[in-house]
Amino acid sequence: MSDGRTLGQLLAQRGVSRRAFLKYSSYLASLMALPPAASRAMAEGLAKAPRQSVIWLSFQECTGCTESITRAHSPTLEDLIFDFISLDYHHTLQAASGEAAEAARHEAMAANKGKYIVVVDGSVPVGAGAIYSTIAGITNQQMLEETVKDAFAVVAVGTCAAFGGIPHARPNPTNAMPIRRLVKDKPVINISGCPPIPEAMAGTLAHVLAFGNVPELDSHGRPLAFFGDSIHDRCYRRPFYDKGQFAESFDDDGARKGWCLYKLGCKGPVTYNACATLKWNGGVSFPIQSGHGCLGCSEPHFWDMGGFYKPVSAPSDEVGPLAAIAVAGGAAAGVAAGLVHRAAKVKAKAAHTTVTVDDLEKTS
Amino acid sequence: MDPLEHAALSGTDEAAMAAKAEDSPLAMALLREISAALADYLETGETAVIDLKSLPMLDADRDALADLLGEGEVTATLNVAGESEVRETGYAGVWWVRHFGADRKLAAEQIEITAVPEILLAHRDDIAAAADRLAASLKTDPPEPMTTLDRDTHHV
Ligand code: SF4
Repeated sequence: MSDGRTLGQLLAQRGVSRRAFLKYSSYLASLMALPPAASRAMAEGLAKAPRQSVIWLSFQECTGCTESITRAHSPTLEDLIFDFISLDYHHTLQAASGEAAEAARHEAMAANKGKYIVVVDGSVPVGAGAIYSTIAGITNQQMLEETVKDAFAVVAVGTCAAFGGIPHARPNPTNAMPIRRLVKDKPVINISGCPPIPEAMAGTLAHVLAFGNVPELDSHGRPLAFFGDSIHDRCYRRPFYDKGQFAESFDDDGARKGWCLYKLGCKGPVTYNACATLKWNGGVSFPIQSGHGCLGCSEPHFWDMGGFYKPVSAPSDEVGPLAAIAVAGGAAAGVAAGLVHRAAKVKAKAAHTTVTVDDLEKTS
Repeated sequence: MDPLEHAALSGTDEAAMAAKAEDSPLAMALLREISAALADYLETGETAVIDLKSLPMLDADRDALADLLGEGEVTATLNVAGESEVRETGYAGVWWVRHFGADRKLAAEQIEITAVPEILLAHRDDIAAAADRLAASLKTDPPEPMTTLDRDTHHV
């Protein structure tokens, strides 16, 4: 819990110098595509900030999001974030249990009134009086309401908290709700993904700490620094897409040559996330690099997009706003994918022949 | 240097650069950006940072840029939340800075245009803390009589 000392002072006692702040900020500025000069301001901001109280609420979820953020490889640069925050409540990670755990939550809320951050993973079931999921004798909905009341901001991590996710998939038996639908009077930052990229979670928290404000968000409430480009915009297989060279099955010649996975259902064109650049497991790979199309896990309704192996086609309601963003961002890729000319597709299917972007955009 | 010899040398430099330019247009573009930033720094004192990690750089581009910039007089290894490496390039004021994270994974890579990269400087707050620490240790723990100064006096 914060005791009035700054992070700079707290960490200096443990032998962490201001150089470490500068290094961490250079790393984040690079991740978040901030102007490199911003890293000095970020380093100063972090060093002067108090340790941030964080209350982490887990509702209808699978704990994959917690796995992701704690999946640090060794105690170095990437997990400095755990020195910057004070995780005052997290029922999976904290040592306390039962009443002591709930007391810790109330204590943190009282001591950091108006300043603490609530991280939520999991959706909140509101059907049947919200009784489908309860913790410590109260419903998730009650716990959320009670905890966000005096928060500074709410961070919804994972697609379940951000958009409802798998619990929200049709027919949504528990009437699962995303956090933004339930929290109206506090800023809610969505960091979607199933699970979200750990760097996106850490980077967003560090931004809030260093600058004391909410980073710039897209229309789905996601930080633009991590969700500004589609997978397709940054995909290394994109030249094959542009040339109309597609794998038709997972073991054909095109697949072996590393051609575009669009026809095998890749949702890259309508999915906004940083997997293609930050990658996973410490930068080792990401689904497309491992030979499988993107599932679109960071998008609303990803579970109900009509099948993981069905190519994205005509714009549906869900694709609409995304396509609009793609155009605004100067990247017509999402639109082009949504409007693939049928004849061009058939032609390409015939023998992996070349289809240019122009062909694809010549829509009926 | 003999002007003729100099001309011949810079001639080879240019030939080498032209060869590199063909290898890596990206490295050449960066070299131009660095050159402009260096001129700015001389004129206005404004430092610049180019984030290499945000560029679609292949290993070949990185190698070409490293060749073009060459090696300078200073190489420093830092132990700060993992390793970091600061190298002066063959052009004074142009530094190549690499920060490593877990498993020596490259976390950030930048070209800095400045007299000395900030991460090498000790921060004022750290110096203040060090001064306190040193003063406190002098109060509680008198130092051994044999100091470096004493040793030096023997030699004199
Ligand atoms: S459709 Fe998928 S595999 Fe093909 S270029 Fe786009 S993101 Fe990459």
